[in-house]
Amino acid sequence: MKIYYTYDGSFDGLLTAIYEAYYRREKPEKILLEEDYQENLFLKRVHIHTDREKAKRVYDSIKSKISNESLKNIFYTYLSELEDLGTWVYQYLKLGWKIGKHIDLNLADDRVLVIHKIRLKIDREKHLMLGLIRFRRLQGNIYYAPIEPKFNIVGLVAPHFVDRLGEENWVIHDVKRGIGAVYNGEEWIIRDIDLEAELEYGNDEFIYQKLWQEYFKSIAIKNRINPKLQKRNMPMRYWRYLVEKNG
Amino acid sequence: MELLDKLKILADAAKYDVSCSSSGSTRKNKKGGLGNSHVSGICHSWSDDGRCISLLKILFTNYCIYDCAYCVNRASNDLPRAAFLPEEVMNLTINFYRRNYIEGLFLSSTIYKSPNYTMELLLETVRKLREEVNFNGYIHLKAIPGADKVLIERAGEYVDRMSVNIELPSTKGLQLLAPQKKREEIIKPMGIITSRITQNIVEKRKFKTAPRFVPAGQSTQLIVGATNDNDINILTLSEALYNQFNLKRVYYSAYVPVATHPNLPSISRPPLLREHRLYQADWLLRFYGFKAKELLSLSNPNFDEKLDPKCDWAIRNMDLFPVEINRAEYKMLLRVPGVGVKSAKRIIAARRFTPLDYDDLKKMGIVLKRARHFITCRGKYYGERRLNTDTIRNNIILNSNNNKKKGISDENQLSIFSLFPDILLPFEEKITKITGEL
Ligand code: SF4
Repeated sequence: MKIYYTYDGSFDGLLTAIYEAYYRREKPEKILLEEDYQENLFLKRVHIHTDREKAKRVYDSIKSKISNESLKNIFYTYLSELEDLGTWVYQYLKLGWKIGKHIDLNLADDRVLVIHKIRLKIDREKHLMLGLIRFRRLQGNIYYAPIEPKFNIVGLVAPHFVDRLGEENWVIHDVKRGIGAVYNGEEWIIRDIDLEAELEYGNDEFIYQKLWQEYFKSIAIKNRINPKLQKRNMPMRYWRYLVEKNG
Repeated sequence: MELLDKLKILADAAKYDVSCSSSGSTRKNKKGGLGNSHVSGICHSWSDDGRCISLLKILFTNYCIYDCAYCVNRASNDLPRAAFLPEEVMNLTINFYRRNYIEGLFLSSTIYKSPNYTMELLLETVRKLREEVNFNGYIHLKAIPGADKVLIERAGEYVDRMSVNIELPSTKGLQLLAPQKKREEIIKPMGIITSRITQNIVEKRKFKTAPRFVPAGQSTQLIVGATNDNDINILTLSEALYNQFNLKRVYYSAYVPVATHPNLPSISRPPLLREHRLYQADWLLRFYGFKAKELLSLSNPNFDEKLDPKCDWAIRNMDLFPVEINRAEYKMLLRVPGVGVKSAKRIIAARRFTPLDYDDLKKMGIVLKRARHFITCRGKYYGERRLNTDTIRNNIILNSNNNKKKGISDENQLSIFSLFPDILLPFEEKITKITGEL
């Protein structure tokens, strides 16, 4: 009978599942989120309980036996929140432990390819987001940016702003997932965010928004107007929080 | 005048690529150098014409004492004029930067009162930004032709990139359209910047603490289509600028008809395709090991509008093809139409594990539409049966037309993803730690 593993959705949970697959020599067919598993008479479901120790063993082993790059690859894959990510990560790591640090050169192999394609998508969205995030200055000198990325990347973009706006207090709020990166001028963390009150903007906020909107209008060359190209580079799903697109 | 009105006028004036005071350098590809100026191509928005907005690109002023025929800002043109104050530019820049609207500032100017007067105002602005408000973002400053050497050198210590725009590819064009400007006045500041950059590299080697001078290098811009210069003149000039002046980038800008003048061509639309071909060729010079004289010649002085320069070259050199994908050297892979730097590297990496066939290449995301005519995979050829340059050429041209119509997109491929909003929460510190480290 085929075995399906399920886990709780945490990164540690995923790594624990991989640990168990090896330790119990079970070769699960799939590794899925609890929510994604559908009852089926012909499958054996094994639920894996997250264990940080075991997860850490896997984490260290990827680092030492495969590579840091691979670790990054699977973490990014994890952030994609795609249904089959657990299975893909498992297949990829199995190959990785077989061939070692050069795994990522093996681009003709489907197990590597699928991970790289996801990684590429995440990198792309992360890079796009670094530019498209718009902070609003609130009362009390806090810079606040709402976002709704496709993938769970708020933790990937935060370090860039720690470097860049290291002197300020800021929040990058993933509105869809209800979480955010919060920085207090020294450290940042990811936490739950639940906006209850209306935001109160700083005195000059609307002045600068207006200036930016006007700048945005002025910079376009009239006889080169090209909405298609604009949308290809900057998909409309990201326009909601762009100051210049909401003037 | 209100700041908002000034901004409208001076952003508007900066957007026309045809003016000594602006540049198409919205496509940055080099790191700015300073800790957090990450100018490796972060676009912050795309304007309605589809171009990337990365820097706050403005003129300091658009009052000009000169009267160059091709330029909107020429003295004889009747248009609204304005001038910023240094503080105003400073405040705009840092407030836009903190809100993450921009990567930094691209400041240029027309020639206001005199070259030195203008250069002093620009210098004061960048000094304020760096010294008074500690602005660490990227600054690209235009050096004013004819300004004193000291002013240009001092400004160079504050900015990441400096440029002097050559504008017209030949002296003849300059005489015709901008008789008040002299070629030497343009070339001189370029020379000053180049030699200071070189000197700075030596100083830096000796003393780590030596102040940096224009760490992101120098660039320039050429106008395409305002004079009758051929593509080969333009490309040979660029090649010389890269090799002799060590320029980081040459930008090409299709002439936008902004004025009528007996010495100007009467065109109704900017030659955008030609501009595009020049950018492609420029890329081939910088990253693909091509020489200008391989791409064009006196008997063939302009690029084919229908074919990109690399394809065009390959078809003219069909005796070098097809190449075997499992054996060809990196240098040769780069010359295969449709194979870019990334693809070539991927091929080299993957073939160490297993000999690659056609489907492997496909899976790896290598675009084979054009490449298939020029390669074999494990000895097998997948292009047109008979290697006839005309058939290949037509095939490629036809295919690229089809494609445009279909407008293929792979957006939908990965749209199935599960929604479980609180997945990070129980392990938040762990994640924080990992992300910080990875
Ligand atoms: S000097 Fe000539 S090209 Fe430059 S802004 Fe003045 S008129 Fe235009």
